[in-house]
Amino acid sequence: MTRATDVGLAACATCELVVRTNGVGSCPRCGEPVRFRKRHATTRAWAFVSAAAILYIPANTLVMMRTEQFPQHREDTILSGIAYLWSEGAWSLAMLVFTASIVIPLVKLISLGVLLVTTGQHSAWHRQGRTMLYRVLEVAGHWSMLDVFVVALLTAVVQLGRFAKVEPGPAVLPFAGVVILTMLASSSFDPRAIWDRGDNE
Amino acid sequence: MSEHEYSIPIVHPKRGRPSAVWIVPLIAIIAAGTLAVRSYLHTGPTIHITFNSADGIEGGKSEVRYKNVPVGRVTSVDLTPDRQHIVATVQLTRGGASLAVTDSRFWVERPRIGVGGVSGLGTLLSGAFIGVDVGSSTERESTFVGLEKPPGVTHDQRGTRYRLTTTDAGSLAPQSPVYVQRQSVGTILALDIAKDGKTVDMEIFVASPYDQLVTESTVFWNTSGLDVTLDASGLRVNTESLATVVAGGIEFGVRPTDPATPPAKENRRFHLFPDYRHAMAKPDEAGVALEMRFDEPIRGTAAGVNVEFEGVHIGEVLEIVPDYDETTRTFHFDARALVFPARLGPAYAKLVTEGTHRGLSGTEMLQLLVTRGLRAQIKSSNILTGSYYIDLAWFPRKGPTNVVAKQGVWVVPTEPGGSEKMEQHVESILAKVDRIPFEAIGGDISNATHAASSLLGHLDANVMPAMQGVLTRAEAAMGALRESLAALRDNVAAPDSAIQQTTRSTLEQLDRAAFSLRSLTDYLQRHPESLVRGRASGPEPK
Repeated sequence: MTRATDVGLAACATCELVVRTNGVGSCPRCGEPVRFRKRHATTRAWAFVSAAAILYIPANTLVMMRTEQFPQHREDTILSGIAYLWSEGAWSLAMLVFTASIVIPLVKLISLGVLLVTTGQHSAWHRQGRTMLYRVLEVAGHWSMLDVFVVALLTAVVQLGRFAKVEPGPAVLPFAGVVILTMLASSSFDPRAIWDRGDNE
Repeated sequence: MSEHEYSIPIVHPKRGRPSAVWIVPLIAIIAAGTLAVRSYLHTGPTIHITFNSADGIEGGKSEVRYKNVPVGRVTSVDLTPDRQHIVATVQLTRGGASLAVTDSRFWVERPRIGVGGVSGLGTLLSGAFIGVDVGSSTERESTFVGLEKPPGVTHDQRGTRYRLTTTDAGSLAPQSPVYVQRQSVGTILALDIAKDGKTVDMEIFVASPYDQLVTESTVFWNTSGLDVTLDASGLRVNTESLATVVAGGIEFGVRPTDPATPPAKENRRFHLFPDYRHAMAKPDEAGVALEMRFDEPIRGTAAGVNVEFEGVHIGEVLEIVPDYDETTRTFHFDARALVFPARLGPAYAKLVTEGTHRGLSGTEMLQLLVTRGLRAQIKSSNILTGSYYIDLAWFPRKGPTNVVAKQGVWVVPTEPGGSEKMEQHVESILAKVDRIPFEAIGGDISNATHAASSLLGHLDANVMPAMQGVLTRAEAAMGALRESLAALRDNVAAPDSAIQQTTRSTLEQLDRAAFSLRSLTDYLQRHPESLVRGRASGPEPK
């Protein structure tokens, strides 16, 4: 299949105007620089994914939230919080938090990793499926900040002096970092690269 | 290719310079590394503490606190494999890591109400926590056996530990206070029965700077409970404070007469006296065993009664052994006493000097005293309480008796007690009183009363009616009498009554008759012959 790149055509990333280009220059309609592919897409995506993967460890091992509910004092990591919710009988909530805070970031990291590796190898393996995976990533990625939102909200709302207090733990920033970095990674990844140099049918 | 042989350099496809975006993972690594290091620095070692019960301890919740500063958290509570105890696994913080040394002690802080006060009230709301007393050792340890009660003294309290030995610990227990001058300055740390089971060993702690007051000559005594003494001096009640009445306590001090001595060393062993009196008594030198044989009943005399000499308490009776003499077929009682003649002070010293000067042995010296009239006698010291003591008193008129020394025991001759004599007197008086036939006397009195009573009844029944008639008649008679008397007065006493007049004329005639009679007698005196011759003529005698 002939690619647009092969005939010197490219679409503006912003206004989607198709222009003839040699890979340098900007869109005559909106002024956005037009490239055949996102610049340094793979490198950037790799950098962001690896940073996110690194931060994923402290985000899950450190304390996410400190609750002071007189006379109890709790310190919860994401996992222990989920376990606490589960033991308290709030299964649906536990599942929700588990999905939003553990599964989605992990799936994003792994998926991005898979996409980057396969793209780097110019693999022809399940190109359509990989494209679909990317689309899902883009959509689901927005929902993985749940934990940070919960902590931020509780910290602001629950401040009853001695009796009840919620404080963010050191895991909040790495967690937010994981979410942001995975979003950056997925946005810097160029899905068109999936189809590059594939000499299929 | 063409005629223009340009040698145009070809750009390198791409220099190996890394993209600036790699700064992002670098930052992530640094951030994660920092967090990891911080987290690592914050976490200390994990230790295991064994307790009898997990009451109040919860995994993931209970804290470990040193001086009320959280230094760790119980992560889990499990049973020991033998199911006898529980093991609390504690994650210490980095700052609390230094707590895990061999001689650190852990206990569960719960609300406690004791005689000494209330403690751990805060744990009512916050829940129990594990308290820790950090040891001074530097050797690391990760397994501990928790205390069931907070230790009386923590390592950071400065002071000195001493050991006490006593035969009777009374109500003393660990945590009982130690007083000096009635101020609490320490506590009993531990209390243990000695291996032979006869004495009780105690470890006490005296806080600094009061440990300077514990000197080599310090005496300790028990101030537990109420010290109620009923003895020769009467009734005495001594208490330290209300707390010691219940919880017991120890006080220490020095005897006023003792010279100042340097402070005692740590773990110095002292004797714990049962009470203040015993503690303040001069320490006795070697005691002398005495035996006294009493032929009289030893009522009121038992082990522990005083032996006095000239009013000085010099010893105590150890035991009283009843004995039977086959030859005289009488009972007697051997009172074995331990006396401390040194309590006589200078007097004893002089006696000893005298004895040694004369080259007399102790027995001979006693023999000398007995020869001078020394005897043992049971005396009543307090009639109210009925207590007795044995008095070593002088009876100079008694002849010398030999002192027998058997098996190192000196037998002192005895004398029937004064009280015994008095009692005999009283008894004989009572016997006499007893012999008075109170019953018969009472019967007689009763009979007499009965007779009198019946007599009165008889009088009442028979005499009184007659008496009434008599009285009526007597009254009538009296009326008649009164009338007669009135008539009589009218007849006799009135100046113009006939009787008066007749009487008066009679009396006048009588007067005249008397006059005539007198002139006759006068005449007859002067002229007695007239009786014969008759009246001579002549002048009429005057």
